[in-house]
Amino acid sequence: MHNVVIVGGGPAGLSAALTAAVAGAPVLLLDSNPRLGGQYWRTPADNFGDQNENHFDLATGLKLINSVKAQSNIQVLSGAQIWSASHKDGVSTLRVIYQGSEKIINTGNLILATGAYDRSLPFPGWDIPGVMTPGGVQSLIKGHGVVAGKRVVVAGSGPFLLPVAAGLVKSGADVVELLEANKSWRWASSILVLLENLSKIKEGFYYIEAISKGKVRARFGQAVVGAYAGENGELESVDIAKIDRNFKIKKVRNIKCDVAAIGWGFTADTSLAGALGCKQVVAKDESVVVLIDSKQQTSITGVFAAGEITGIGGSELSMIEGEIAGKSAAKFVGCAVDISRSDLIIRAKKQRFAAALIKAYPIKSGWRSWLDEQTVLCRCEEVDLADLKDSIVELGATDSRTAKLLTRCGMGLCQGRICGRFVVDLVADQLNISPTDIDRIAAVSRPIITPIPLGVLAAGE
Amino acid sequence: MKNPDAIVIGAGVVGACCALSLTNAGLKVLIIDRGPVASGTTGAGEGNILVSDKGPGAELTLAIRSRDLWFDINTDIGGGFELEAKGGVVVSRSAKGISDLKKLSVLQKENGVEVIELDGAGLRKIEPYLSESVEYGVLYPGDAQCQPMLAAAQIIRAVKKRGGSFIQGENVIAINSNAGSLIGITTDKNNYSCPIVINATGTWAGEIAKLAGSHLPIMPRRGFILVTAPAPKIVHHKVYDADYVANVASSDADLQSSAVVEGTASGTILIGASRERVGFKADLDISILRQLARQAISLFPVLSSIGLLRAYRGFRPYAPDHLPVIGEDANISGLWHAAGHEGAGIGLSPATGELITAQITNQSTFIDPTPFSPKRFQGSEYVAV
Ligand SMILES: Cc1cc2nc3c(=O)[nH]c(=O)nc-3n(C[C@H](O)[C@H](O)[C@H](O)COP(=O)(O)OP(=O)(O)OC[C@H]3O[C@@H](n4cnc5c(N)ncnc54)[C@H](O)[C@@H]3O)c2cc1C
Ligand SMILES: Cc1cc2nc3c(=O)[nH]c(=O)nc-3n(C[C@H](O)[C@H](O)[C@H](O)COP(=O)(O)OP(=O)(O)OC[C@H]3O[C@@H](n4cnc5c(N)ncnc54)[C@H](O)[C@@H]3O)c2cc1C
Repeated sequence: MHNVVIVGGGPAGLSAALTAAVAGAPVLLLDSNPRLGGQYWRTPADNFGDQNENHFDLATGLKLINSVKAQSNIQVLSGAQIWSASHKDGVSTLRVIYQGSEKIINTGNLILATGAYDRSLPFPGWDIPGVMTPGGVQSLIKGHGVVAGKRVVVAGSGPFLLPVAAGLVKSGADVVELLEANKSWRWASSILVLLENLSKIKEGFYYIEAISKGKVRARFGQAVVGAYAGENGELESVDIAKIDRNFKIKKVRNIKCDVAAIGWGFTADTSLAGALGCKQVVAKDESVVVLIDSKQQTSITGVFAAGEITGIGGSELSMIEGEIAGKSAAKFVGCAVDISRSDLIIRAKKQRFAAALIKAYPIKSGWRSWLDEQTVLCRCEEVDLADLKDSIVELGATDSRTAKLLTRCGMGLCQGRICGRFVVDLVADQLNISPTDIDRIAAVSRPIITPIPLGVLAAGE
Repeated sequence: MKNPDAIVIGAGVVGACCALSLTNAGLKVLIIDRGPVASGTTGAGEGNILVSDKGPGAELTLAIRSRDLWFDINTDIGGGFELEAKGGVVVSRSAKGISDLKKLSVLQKENGVEVIELDGAGLRKIEPYLSESVEYGVLYPGDAQCQPMLAAAQIIRAVKKRGGSFIQGENVIAINSNAGSLIGITTDKNNYSCPIVINATGTWAGEIAKLAGSHLPIMPRRGFILVTAPAPKIVHHKVYDADYVANVASSDADLQSSAVVEGTASGTILIGASRERVGFKADLDISILRQLARQAISLFPVLSSIGLLRAYRGFRPYAPDHLPVIGEDANISGLWHAAGHEGAGIGLSPATGELITAQITNQSTFIDPTPFSPKRFQGSEYVAV
């Protein structure tokens, strides 16, 4: 029987691996992190004390990780980074950097579970050291046990701000502000969805309790719209604005802090799926995701996808998607296993929750009015808004690709992972048009998924 | 724009230079492209402006003139396209290669190219990270570079400021003539009447010629370029192996590559480019990336630890005899071709514009234009070799 190859060791990939292996399929699980768990269950190094209490749900993760490790027909390669991939005639070729050299893996049965990363929006000063993403702050706490700073502002939008604020409070930081850009009542319209996803409410209360121990009160309809560096070049204070429903600034105050953790939800990491040629689509929240059918199969037969890359929906949706993908892939290689009705019901329930999330935490276009001409857009190549405007007004760019090539915006080290998504909006804004799906998908296309040392590349055949 | 004096089809670097030169000669120019500025090969190549890779002949004369014109254009329009007289270094490691390179550089010198021979020590003085295995090379101070997309965009901006215009998003679908004289063109959206049209559609120039009932054997020659992550200053010039020169002139369909390595202002290093004739095949060919990486490392071993960040490819427009096509159509008067510059279109575009303009306005030309004439393909069943 052929291997099922799975990329991604987060909730989706782990669930897929376990399910496929239990169904009888030998599994090869590849993950770029040194330890399994993905973003959500980012576990600390072994020699670092127990982090369980910082995490609502680490127990589930550890259990899953241990089951995967105990399963004899799962082979795990941690620290394996796929830098390039292609698909031809039913065979996917993964080119993997592993322990300093390149390994080529060919497979007819592949599950993609490459997850998501923080979504950022620019504002004046967001490039000052000390302005971070919540994910960045959290991985410092979870992975290394480091408290990023003393006076911390947590801001942006979405439920992920809660665990970050809670983690900071537990680690002894002073969370001076917790700001949600949207209004608190937004959830009211989704009350039924909330009730059927009680575990999520429990999770929310868990974090709220943790946060309130630090005497932190969340404020709604507010956002960080400016940041200032002190003499040492590091963050010293931020401007906090009351904003209207469209995110336009109403009133500003300034507050001292040394870290600002600002996030606007997540962007799916579809680079690998894109390199293989899986069809991608633009989701309701305008993020690019991998298109799947009810079996979690992508547009390519034998290539499945699960978790955040199919749409942002949290760890529980990722897990059930992983289980379904695991079954589908196992069945594809000949195992006697079927997706059950209850699998589908659970997935549908979690999907409704995900949809409610998107509805409750919209990112409104008013953020574009926070920028000034000197606001840096591309931190890698130091391109500011004036440069981008110049490429459109003076040099005649009429699409984001041309604007990018004329300014180098998004062509630096991160390959547009940070700025690509919002630059598409800013370009369209300048031209008074709406971005097309093609623009959005082109902005996340990255045939070289991660940099490969030229020496490793040269050594391959 | 009502009643342009001339229409340029194609907003690549060649179309841009033709438009600027015509505008400066007093013509009212309309540029039309089916896509945005530099959306063709100009946006998918490198910006080498080379005199080092050409042997004596019409193309070298064009290249030398063009190199100087780039600096004139820089002054004329106020820069903004990262033009830099960086200098090229060509090296060789085989006895035969060295003797060929010596011979070539002597001939180039006789034709007005500045050449400086260097031994191993001399080479490492100007390129400290160059491989110890290199013992002979030639420095060409005249080699320069620019950012081609910015060049095209800045030039078109100047054309617009001087009364020209640029329409994008219109595909030319007919060339209209009457009794052998051009009267205008038709796009998928509009009709334009005009007595002069310049076909600057690069790799697609054969299709425009076909619309006019003419034959222009321009074909694609694919090339890949590697872009590394930002690195400390390792490479100071454009450095390449002499094999490259042999490759450029080759008619072999198989893959050839000889890495030209150069550092850029932003710290990234460009390694390009391969040459192969596979039509418009778009897929990322990893074996080519590996070959380019090997060649670059053999020149600069320290590159081994630098990360490859991106790779991109483009399709060079080439004619069977590897010379650009610059001149009036064989059948229709008023239709001019400026295309087929293969891997040297960035370098050669200002002189191309000048040559086209001089002929259209009946001025004397700095070079005999005959070798570039499209008429050279007429009547012959010219098959690609
Ligand atoms: C920093 C961060 C923290 C989060 N914390 C929470 C939280 O506290 N609560 C919550 O509900 N949700 C949280 N989320 C949302 C979270 O992403 C999902 O709920 C869940 O982790 C998604 O699971 P997944 O399996 O789809 O992806 P992930 O958990 O993101 O796992 C994807 C894995 O694939 C690997 N990978 C990606 N590309 C490659 C490649 N080319 N080669 C090899 N491996 C690759 C990654 O290294 C990663 O280990 C967080 C998200 C982020 C980004
Ligand atoms: C990998 C690579 C590296 C290179 N490196 C160098 C280098 O270092 N130095 C150098 O000098 N040269 C280099 N070149 C070659 C150089 O890029 C080309 O010779 C040059 O860009 C050609 O310019 P062009 O204006 O003729 O064509 P293009 O830039 O292709 O412009 C043609 C335009 O015509 C438009 N068009 C086509 N058909 C129609 C139609 N029917 N209607 C309307 N518009 C149409 C297209 O949209 C396009 O914008 C390289 C090329 C490649 C591929």
